[in-house]
Amino acid sequence: MSSGGPRTKRNMPGLLRASLNPWLVRVPDHPERLAFVLHRVTGVIIILYLLAHIVVTGTPAWRGWAAWDSLMTQFNNIWNQIGEFIVAGSVLFHGMNGIRLLLTEFFGLCLGEPEPPKPPYIPPTYRACQRKLLYAVFALWPILWFVAGLLIFGVW
Amino acid sequence: MVGIDPKAATKTPPKVVTIRVRRYNPVSGREWWQEYKVETHRGMTVLDALLKIKEEIDHTLVMRYSCRMGVCGSCGMVINGTPRLACQTQIAEVADEANPVITVEPLYNFPVIRDLLTDFTSFFEKHRKVMPYLIRNDREEQEDPKGQYLMSREDYEYLEEFTLCISCGLCYAACPVAAIDPDYLGPQALGYLFRYVIDTRDEAWEMRLKIADDEHGCHRCHYAGTCSMVCPKVVDPAQAIQRLRSILFKYKLGLYRKKKISGISPPPKEWKPRKPLPPEAKPVSSEVDYKKLEEEPVVIEVEDRRITLRHKIYE
Repeated sequence: MSSGGPRTKRNMPGLLRASLNPWLVRVPDHPERLAFVLHRVTGVIIILYLLAHIVVTGTPAWRGWAAWDSLMTQFNNIWNQIGEFIVAGSVLFHGMNGIRLLLTEFFGLCLGEPEPPKPPYIPPTYRACQRKLLYAVFALWPILWFVAGLLIFGVW
Repeated sequence: MVGIDPKAATKTPPKVVTIRVRRYNPVSGREWWQEYKVETHRGMTVLDALLKIKEEIDHTLVMRYSCRMGVCGSCGMVINGTPRLACQTQIAEVADEANPVITVEPLYNFPVIRDLLTDFTSFFEKHRKVMPYLIRNDREEQEDPKGQYLMSREDYEYLEEFTLCISCGLCYAACPVAAIDPDYLGPQALGYLFRYVIDTRDEAWEMRLKIADDEHGCHRCHYAGTCSMVCPKVVDPAQAIQRLRSILFKYKLGLYRKKKISGISPPPKEWKPRKPLPPEAKPVSSEVDYKKLEEEPVVIEVEDRRITLRHKIYE
């Protein structure tokens, strides 16, 4: 017992691994976990954007409108457009998936009805329409993000 | 769903598999991966392989197990990255000739005592916290019941799947919220809590909702849903937690009322007296011929649900 006797070891993956790795627990046919990771990542991006947005839109109040015009000129570059593109994608996914989560979590809809287990032993939640909604989110997201990209980069 | 693969029994496992075990020595604090090569046979489970290692190769390997048939929930471990019951996981399911390597780790989110042995103390404390038993307002009647609590078939079927939980901890190990918040009640405890909230025989639902309505309660869930995917008993804790949240949402708005509380069955109108018991059989002689007793067959008589075993040497 040279090192103070037996002790248990903490075995928690932690915030970053649990939040960023959808394959931390390997389960086949499980898009909800991927949606969870994407929802969390996009949520962080939106929060960071909103903080920056508040600071930027507050500029005229403490530095005057001249500073605002100068800032807007500086923002008119490709890197800012890429940033806007990422924010637009985040908002689109977070918003659409958020509607699915509101329906399931607050109103208990799209969850299926509890039932005694029977073959093929798939939990009712994953046979319910919330999964169809999730597939719809995954299908619509790239399309809407592409349209947003066309608007942001001035192609359209 | 993970954990039940009816085709697994028909597959043939690779002749030799390499079991990679994540080990931990609590005295020295050393962690390491250790590899064992095990000869397999058809139908062999991961638990069988681990026990074979313990018996024949390395006696120091530590794991917890009991029933070996997926009932007790003791042998939960992370097998090839997925929380599973080792006794329910066949080698053929997780390894083949092309990739004959199986990694075995202790369950995530539980403190590791040694090797694959994890500490469930905090897990069961959370289980006790949700009071997983029936509570009636009339405690005297509950202590000395005059009849059965009535429950319709539909009401039972609604909560049946949640009664099947064996508290194996796989859901807790798979949960990304439990991976961050050690005080989170977890899918198992919240599943039990929901099971009693919707039970028509239970009257403490408001007390239970207050337990769930906590920063470490059901609001902490993010509906990743892996808990339901790894459950070996097809319990659906993800659904239970979402339904619990919707109940709480309505309850906070004053819109939720428990539909009904079951009554107690009335006593039967007419008691049918049982037939009197047959007089106690007495041996003819006090000296029992044990040799004769072994040779002659035993006669079984069934009288009004009471079975008496008699031998021919008795009258």
